[in-house]
Amino acid sequence: MRIIIAGAGDVGFHLAKLLAIEEHDINIIDLDSSKLQYISNHLDVNTIKGSSTSYKILEEAKVSKSDLLIAVTESESTNISTAIIGKNLGAKKTIARISNTEFLHKKDILNLKSIGIDELISPESLAAKEIKKLLKETALTDTFEFEKGILSLVGVTIDEDSELLNQSLADTAYLNPDRNFNTVAILRGNETIIPHGANKFMLNDHAYFITQPDGLERVMNLSGKIRTPVKNLMILGGSKIGVKTAMQLSSKYKIKLIEQDKEKCFELADQLQDTLIINGDGRDVELLQEEGIADMDAFIAVTGNSETNIITSLVAKNHNVKKTIALVENIDYIHLSQNIGVDTMINKKLIAASFIFRHIRKGEVLNLISIHGVDGELVEFEVKPNSKILDVEIKDLNFPKSAIIGGVIRNNQGITVRGNFRFQEKDRVVVLSKPECIRTVEGFFK
Amino acid sequence: MRFNYQVIVNIIGLLLMLNGVFMLLCIPFSMHFGEGDLMAINWSGLITICVGAILWFATKDHSNKELKKKDGYLIVTLGWVSMSCFGALPYILSGAIPNFTDAFFETISGYTTTGASILTDIESVHKGILFWRSLTQWIGGMGIIVLAVAILPILGIGGMQLFVAESPGISPDKLQPRIKETAKRLWLIYVMLTGIETVLLWAGGMTFFDALNHGLTTMSTGGFSTKNASAAHFSPFIQYVMILFMFLAGTNFTMTYFGLHGQFKKVIRNEEFRFYLGTCVLLTAVTTFAIYLASGTGFEQSFRNGLFQVVSVVTTTGFVSADYTQWSSFITLLFFIMLFIGASAGSTSGGVKIVRHVILLKNSILELKRQLHPSAIIPVRFNKTAVPKDITFNILAFIMIYISIFSIGSIVMASMGVDLETAMGSVATSLGNVGPGIGSVGPVDNFAHLPTPGKWFLSFLMLLGRLELFTVLMLLTPYFWRKL
Repeated sequence: MRIIIAGAGDVGFHLAKLLAIEEHDINIIDLDSSKLQYISNHLDVNTIKGSSTSYKILEEAKVSKSDLLIAVTESESTNISTAIIGKNLGAKKTIARISNTEFLHKKDILNLKSIGIDELISPESLAAKEIKKLLKETALTDTFEFEKGILSLVGVTIDEDSELLNQSLADTAYLNPDRNFNTVAILRGNETIIPHGANKFMLNDHAYFITQPDGLERVMNLSGKIRTPVKNLMILGGSKIGVKTAMQLSSKYKIKLIEQDKEKCFELADQLQDTLIINGDGRDVELLQEEGIADMDAFIAVTGNSETNIITSLVAKNHNVKKTIALVENIDYIHLSQNIGVDTMINKKLIAASFIFRHIRKGEVLNLISIHGVDGELVEFEVKPNSKILDVEIKDLNFPKSAIIGGVIRNNQGITVRGNFRFQEKDRVVVLSKPECIRTVEGFFK
Repeated sequence: MRFNYQVIVNIIGLLLMLNGVFMLLCIPFSMHFGEGDLMAINWSGLITICVGAILWFATKDHSNKELKKKDGYLIVTLGWVSMSCFGALPYILSGAIPNFTDAFFETISGYTTTGASILTDIESVHKGILFWRSLTQWIGGMGIIVLAVAILPILGIGGMQLFVAESPGISPDKLQPRIKETAKRLWLIYVMLTGIETVLLWAGGMTFFDALNHGLTTMSTGGFSTKNASAAHFSPFIQYVMILFMFLAGTNFTMTYFGLHGQFKKVIRNEEFRFYLGTCVLLTAVTTFAIYLASGTGFEQSFRNGLFQVVSVVTTTGFVSADYTQWSSFITLLFFIMLFIGASAGSTSGGVKIVRHVILLKNSILELKRQLHPSAIIPVRFNKTAVPKDITFNILAFIMIYISIFSIGSIVMASMGVDLETAMGSVATSLGNVGPGIGSVGPVDNFAHLPTPGKWFLSFLMLLGRLELFTVLMLLTPYFWRKL
């Protein structure tokens, strides 16, 4: 596919990285030549310096022959104009990143398609959605449900109480008598391990499992976690994500929102009637204590400052808050902070990039999910009538080592598969694969 | 920073295997002519492939696939050196050049498309070996790394680093967003032009074997011939064909690509192409006139000799249709200076390259204007866009280093007892990847009589010139090896 990406910021870079591995022809446009220099040194893409709303620049990027134009610069209006101009110059499909979510809600009334914008993406609302999902299960660092939960991916941190600690996968087989979950990935520091029998669980590993509904309880017991429903919740920062999260959750939870700016607090209080707005600096530990941080079930730090978010999450963790979520803009911090104890990191740029990536791959695969921090993608395939894996046992498939089959959905039922499993037509297969062998894996299902 | 040795060894293994496969391509000629060099070629090919395969296999499971800039430079330099060592095998095993120094010199002169030879009687060498000699130039012309990037799947992201380190010019143009596709198109044009030239030469009266060999060595701007008398052995028609293709080989392949796509306007508007064409026209006019006056040959022959020699030297090919040192000292000096010009960036030619001369010249002239208007911002314009300052500095450094190496190199050669003209000529021609120099390494002479250390030194200069100084020199700096 020929793809043009306008904007070489974090979203643009991450997206280009995901797409370049897939061997798409990518042109990146940006005004900042140092950013472009960095990209062309690191990725196999073409870079063009200039404004993405310029006719000449878009022509240079061969917009008339492009299949997709993705406008992800910092500026909403640039993105919108880029998409419109690009569409008129012949781009087959356009995606624009926006920050004002009115566009998203009133998509049909505004009739954006008719002026040339096919798809909108708002990293902020995606992040708020992600937070909502994570709060449902406090013991988990990550979760994704396939088909309303008949098969789900869950991530847990291995701590001292876990029965799995220092055991290899093969050794722990007895702990999984009903065979209703599979280990699909272990994240240790910066390294993503696709586990095989001999791999061991170590302290502070983030382990990811594919489980059937009845296996979830078991996974949590093994990892030493107790399921506790969230009732009280503290949000730090009245940013867009903070407000959106508060809005979406205020009916279910009791929420306290801390914001530094007094005037903004007033506005927020007006806007969020069921939420208790507190004016103060979140870095002030005394304030947090006073506001009862110890009684909170979850702490969400979403200020504009990544460092503040990480540090306050650690403070919350110290006060035994069960679930901490921090918004981290700096991608390099993600691994680091997960290692020092923050439960889950949210990075809206990564979320946005994976969202667009998923959108591009739609049709080829049923589903594609990126897991925070893990160097790999969770992909759902359908077994086609003539695919080469039909009627072969998994263990004889010669499947790549950097990928693992987690589970299968057959007749609306989730199955966590073993080596002797045989695929049938119309099975939907969930695979976790490192980026470099996604193509190879795809070949198995074609 | 630590080097990713596993990947480095892995890729070098791969390059050697590729090189070995090329050696085996000589088999048909060796068998057809049946001069007894078959076993030597077989063994060389097999040894090279085996060593390559062992290196590749031993490091197959490298976990860290990332290729840093430094790794790229190391791979390219080590790759070229190891290729030259193994490329010498056919000469040694067949007995064509029994001495390792001479064989290495001949090989690296081939790969770097210099075309300086130590063979005194080329026509007595077996045909299979002669074909290998031409093939080394063809491989080196477009570059084996560019080929590897084009046809092997492994060099995805790291390919860019390698590509930059090997390709001539300031920064390579990308014809396509992906480097692999760019490399594929470059090689395609290269193969196509070589094919067309071979057919034309064949039609012009050469034997197929000679036509193919000259096709390979013209398109790579190499200059190895299969005849002792080089191009002078052949008819005027053949010489004109060779002139045309030498000129094309010295043109930026990106321009050729545009030309093939019918975008002639882009080619005509390209400043480097215009200067390249202008330089050739001007120099031809001057030399034709000078030859006509000095030699008394007919006008057509003076023109043809002038044109042929000018294009041959400017594109750094080094074919010879007449000895340019025999006419007058004016012409000899003119050709000596031409050794420093070089053709377009992004072509297969060596030397300094036109673009560097033009930018630096413009910058120097603008410097006068800047003196008059101290506060004015006056950028150098090339192809109607302002050239960033760091590129100007890069070119300044390049030319400074080039001249320093030439000066020091000449002194080094002279210290080995070589006479002045020969010392300067051999260094300039090796560094510029041209082939013939002046003095006793002139167009009709060869390099066999130079002292052994001199041959090694010139081999080093050829590699320096082909990889455009920085790639190799960087390895000699302490910064490169320091961890911080």
